[in-house]
Amino acid sequence: MSGKNKGLSKAREIYLNRSQRARELKAAGKKIIGYPCVYVPLEMLTALDLVPYQTCGDMKEPVTEADRALPHAFCPIMRNCLHCALKGKNDFLEGMVTIHSCDPQEKTARVWESYTKYPYFHFIDMPITVRPEAVEYFKGQLDDFRKTLEVFTGKKLSKDRLEVATKSHNRQRALVTELYELTKSSPPLISGTEIVQVVKALTSLPVAEGNDLLIETISEVKKRTAGPEKKSARLLIWSSTLDDTDIMQVFEAKANVVMNESCGGVRAYRGEVKLTADPLEGLADYYLNEITCARTFRQATLGETRKDYARDLQSRFGYLRGAIRDWRINGVIMLLVRYCDPFAFEMPSLKDYLNSIGIPSIYIEYDYTVGALAPMRTRVEAFIETISQQ
Amino acid sequence: MYFAGVDIGSTMTKVVLMDRAGNLLSFIKGPTGAEHRRLANEVMREALEKASLQIDDISYIVATGYGRLNVPFADCQITELSCHARGVSSLFPNARTAIDIGGQDAKSMKIDNGRLVNFVMNDKCAAGTGRFLEVTATTLAIKLGEMGAISLKATKKIQISNLCTIFAQQEVVALLSRGEKLENILAGLHDALTSRVAALARRLGIEPDLVLTGGVAKNIGMVEAMKQNLGCEIFVPEEPLLTGALGAAILAKETYVKAAAAGEALPTKSRRLEKATFFSQEYR
Repeated sequence: MSGKNKGLSKAREIYLNRSQRARELKAAGKKIIGYPCVYVPLEMLTALDLVPYQTCGDMKEPVTEADRALPHAFCPIMRNCLHCALKGKNDFLEGMVTIHSCDPQEKTARVWESYTKYPYFHFIDMPITVRPEAVEYFKGQLDDFRKTLEVFTGKKLSKDRLEVATKSHNRQRALVTELYELTKSSPPLISGTEIVQVVKALTSLPVAEGNDLLIETISEVKKRTAGPEKKSARLLIWSSTLDDTDIMQVFEAKANVVMNESCGGVRAYRGEVKLTADPLEGLADYYLNEITCARTFRQATLGETRKDYARDLQSRFGYLRGAIRDWRINGVIMLLVRYCDPFAFEMPSLKDYLNSIGIPSIYIEYDYTVGALAPMRTRVEAFIETISQQ
Repeated sequence: MYFAGVDIGSTMTKVVLMDRAGNLLSFIKGPTGAEHRRLANEVMREALEKASLQIDDISYIVATGYGRLNVPFADCQITELSCHARGVSSLFPNARTAIDIGGQDAKSMKIDNGRLVNFVMNDKCAAGTGRFLEVTATTLAIKLGEMGAISLKATKKIQISNLCTIFAQQEVVALLSRGEKLENILAGLHDALTSRVAALARRLGIEPDLVLTGGVAKNIGMVEAMKQNLGCEIFVPEEPLLTGALGAAILAKETYVKAAAAGEALPTKSRRLEKATFFSQEYR
């Protein structure tokens, strides 16, 4: 890395050339392991001196290569990720860890394994509920993951190593939370677009380097005098993945995005992993319980989904209420990627919840291409017009 | 003191000029084509000529529609949803729902107190839009403007099972080769298009009075099919293409008058009708 840039400009540089640092680290003898989804416990990779690297798509890419392996009516993000991988954009990877976070991830796991020739490959089976038995099962799956990692690296994944790594990742979570504190003011000190660049940079760097980037960025942003302009609305975006600045700029043309409730934003960085006697227990608990993706089935009381809808909604979406109040959010955009069933099925309930707490919302579907942005802009701006005149 | 609304749609560009009292001074419609910017200038020049005004006479200009970013002389951009809602409610004060079917999209709008309060739009797809009718007219070698009248002669309504524009074309060709009558096929097509748009509008809820606008509202067959499908009275403005530009002109007037009353000076753009620079620079 050039080393000249710091903080925000460094994040922008990494965002625009995400694999640069991974390639440098590979040249220096490090092993880079890809993962497609935030549910993979990165602590276990970091503990064994492996560098986690999130494999992403690129909205500007016409998806052609994925047609060899995946159907058309299928998650456009997974299609795009696989297209990029098959084009050789991730040719520096030493391995890949996939996980059954949703069906497209699971189906694509086989394809990754067959069509790419990385020396290491592992698939983690992840349960879909948060029952205690599910956490126990997931812990067992993480233990299997540990075994294949130990064989691959020839190193033992000791409790000490894992604790050190967990502390670093917890530090990253705390720093991202601190970064989001800077969007509480009006206007926010940092834009949603800038945060996308920072968070996407984090997913391409070793955790310690990511933490340094966050520390630099936070200190720079706290001191800055010329931040984002005040716009006519303060938005929360709820989505599976919003990790692209082109989409973020569509939202930020007329509004300030102060909360990005997606995998490209705050979702993977809330709370912290508990340091438990068996470290895998803390990891299993955190990843299954704390990450609030629509892929997980949640209910207020076990087996009582239909008894009290309002309470059920509160237990599923209550975490958004605090953010809406503290960040003074006056509109929510539910951004759905086409064919994303988990989020599509969660959307009507979320809409009910937002109605119940009096927050206007809009549902927008797109297909993860830049061609979708012009019609999206009209919908987004019309929504902002309806909420900002009130 | 004069105001202008410029609506650059995917197919047609419209301009409305208005005086302070809200009187319509002139309006112009023209095909949008590929050169949004040049056309915005020309259509504006034409509208000014018709009203015997100079561009400097216009106090405030609002641009709307898909090409709203491509109007270099516009002082502000407002989406076509807000503009249609405003335009419709100025013509029909009791309107609570407006359905606009344009060349590239269909939208349903909820109106309260003359303002847009909620809306739905179709997905990125030609099904349920004016393009669907355009493509069909071309396939059938008839004029777009004749479709409605022909369809009213139908003796039965052919069921068109596919709503995808491309597949519907194939279905139409198959029906023709089977010997089905043109008017019956057209009635079926209008019904298919209407049910698509009606389903969209029902997502939002339909509250009377209902107003239908956009180029598709000029098709009498569509208006009739919509009445049947929704089971309610439908109002159509005399110039259904103009409600967006009309709303833009009204919003221009209201914005300007409100700012003047508060003693604020509104930032305005250069009034020269010149060729535009790249739009990202002037769009904020």
